Amino acid sequence: MIRIFKKDLVLFLKDKQGAILSFVLPIVLISLFSLAFGGIRGNSSSSITLLIHDADSTSTSSSIVNALDAMEGLNLIRSTAENANEEIKKGNDAAALILHSGVEQAKSNGEPLPLELIYDEARQMEVGIIQSILSTQIAWAIMPDNIEPAPSLFHMQMTSVVGEEKTTNAGLIQAVAGTAILMLLFNVAGLGVSILEEKESGTLNRILSSPLNPRTILMGKMASTFFLAIIQLTVMFVFSWLVFGLDITANLPALIIMIVATAFAVSSFGIFLAAISKTRQQARGLSTLIILIMSATGGSMIPIFMMPEIMKKIAVVSVNYWGIQGFFDIFWRNLSLLEIMPKILILLGIGLLISIISMRLFSKNVMKLA
Amino acid sequence: MIKFNQVSKSYNDRQALKNVSFQVQKGEFFGLLGPNGAGKTTTLNILSTLIRPDHGEVLIDGLSLGENLKDIKHRIGIVPQEIALYEELSAFENLMFWGSLYDMPKAQIKTKALEVLEMVGLLDRRGDLIKTFSGGMKRRINIASALLHAPKVLLLDEPTAGVDPQSRNHIFELLENLNQAGITVIYTTHYMEEVERLCDTIGIIDSGQIAAQGSLEELRRVSEAKDIIVLNTEEVTKTSFDELSNHTAFVLEEDATKLTIECENIGNEISGLINHINNAKITIKSIETHQADLESIFLKLTGKQLRD
Repeated sequence: MIRIFKKDLVLFLKDKQGAILSFVLPIVLISLFSLAFGGIRGNSSSSITLLIHDADSTSTSSSIVNALDAMEGLNLIRSTAENANEEIKKGNDAAALILHSGVEQAKSNGEPLPLELIYDEARQMEVGIIQSILSTQIAWAIMPDNIEPAPSLFHMQMTSVVGEEKTTNAGLIQAVAGTAILMLLFNVAGLGVSILEEKESGTLNRILSSPLNPRTILMGKMASTFFLAIIQLTVMFVFSWLVFGLDITANLPALIIMIVATAFAVSSFGIFLAAISKTRQQARGLSTLIILIMSATGGSMIPIFMMPEIMKKIAVVSVNYWGIQGFFDIFWRNLSLLEIMPKILILLGIGLLISIISMRLFSKNVMKLA
Repeated sequence: MIKFNQVSKSYNDRQALKNVSFQVQKGEFFGLLGPNGAGKTTTLNILSTLIRPDHGEVLIDGLSLGENLKDIKHRIGIVPQEIALYEELSAFENLMFWGSLYDMPKAQIKTKALEVLEMVGLLDRRGDLIKTFSGGMKRRINIASALLHAPKVLLLDEPTAGVDPQSRNHIFELLENLNQAGITVIYTTHYMEEVERLCDTIGIIDSGQIAAQGSLEELRRVSEAKDIIVLNTEEVTKTSFDELSNHTAFVLEEDATKLTIECENIGNEISGLINHINNAKITIKSIETHQADLESIFLKLTGKQLRD
């Protein structure tokens, strides 16, 4: 038994890359998830952003704004009602508090304050926390210490500006978009690895000795990966439409272009993986590491809005982030093709950049026999 | 047909080829013989256009490798050491794919694919997946894949590795037929018997250098490798051996029952030697003859065993 134990241990340690990954990967993922859930040491609660518009501009409304501003953990940003509406619709913020004119007068008359919370229904968790903060903080901000506030006085009008007429829930969009991109990354990584298989089996050498230009060979590989990625994404969305009722017909042109852009960005990653790896084993190890990191930071595993600000900033380097946000724009925020275009261009840009880098690395590393 | 002139190639600090020169005539079957790591595959990779030499000149069919890459690629067919086929595709699908890389019309590729399948004796298995083939059958399709565009030069890197004797013979016959049809063949191997059977000319390569080049007879002459006759005898007395030594250079082994001698040509010399044995009154029990083969030639030229 001891001999087998020792032999297995030696074999495990001989595969240095595998051994390192066995320890590094869990540590990296634990760190990412801890960061994503805001569990970093000394900062157990991440701040929540709330837009605020004070249309009353009286001492009462100002005292509400000041009280909220003074709260730790609440990041208060002053805005206009229109801008707040726009930012929430674009998915940049979860909610905005509008203090309509007549706050001071309503307080004097003992009537309910004209307060309105406009919000994105997809971000119910954040909105729930904001609601709970507001209901207590506003009351204590305007009532004298010795008077218990009447709950009816602070009843807020709740207005969902995104998703109020949706039959599809945001969770479904998150699940479909997040999972589709995650699985697509695994699939294209496999296709990328196939180039290394060709190198090891000798078929790549045979192709290289044919009159085909080496760049043509790589572009052919990229084209097949790209095409299969489009098919895979399409199948995933059609399946979600047929089985879960995700309405893919509402903005079909935008969806098609978004699928193409996402497939391009993701498939370039597959080729990149093959270009930086020397062997299939190396590519497999790296793909697991990179895919899990990109998916964890990019919102495939945890919705972006649940992450602290620092993670939201890191997320923008991930293909998953732009893909998921783009699909949310289509299915949830009902944005037009023009409004989605920046995300599409970013995905195409990521794809193009990675493709160019991959081509250079591929010529240098993979096609070089020496 | 092929001129390899003062070619050198290094990988990092290791020099794989050192000023290698050889020539192969049109229609010749040229064998490049050497142990593992001698430089055979590097030579073949240069001829296959997969790598470029650091120095020197390579001409194929009069075209320079440095200037006419695409034209050269149309003239050569390569058979790599690996089974460079797609296991999940059928033999016919593999051939259709490989043919499509050479700017040939689809109908022509199809005709050629069926032709080469017949040539390698696997026409009836054309629809079967490669993964269902035996090692020898895969090797034959591996060769067939290099023939679709009718190359003038066929480059084979140890094409019989891991093949059973029957398939090996099939491959030999195929290559002999191709060569007789006018294809120039460059064949690398570390199996001497393959080179002896197939090749008109042999290049012996060792440590990145050509040790000698020529026909088997020319190599025997250059290397001064001799044929050997071994006689197993009754015990040879000192008187008999002294008598024998007056006329021949026989060496007596320690137990005095074995006599050995090196000679230029066994056929010409054996009857005279046996006469001397009889005159010395030595009784022969059995005779063994060993012709100077590539193993002994290689040993003479390089000072090492071919399969070290």
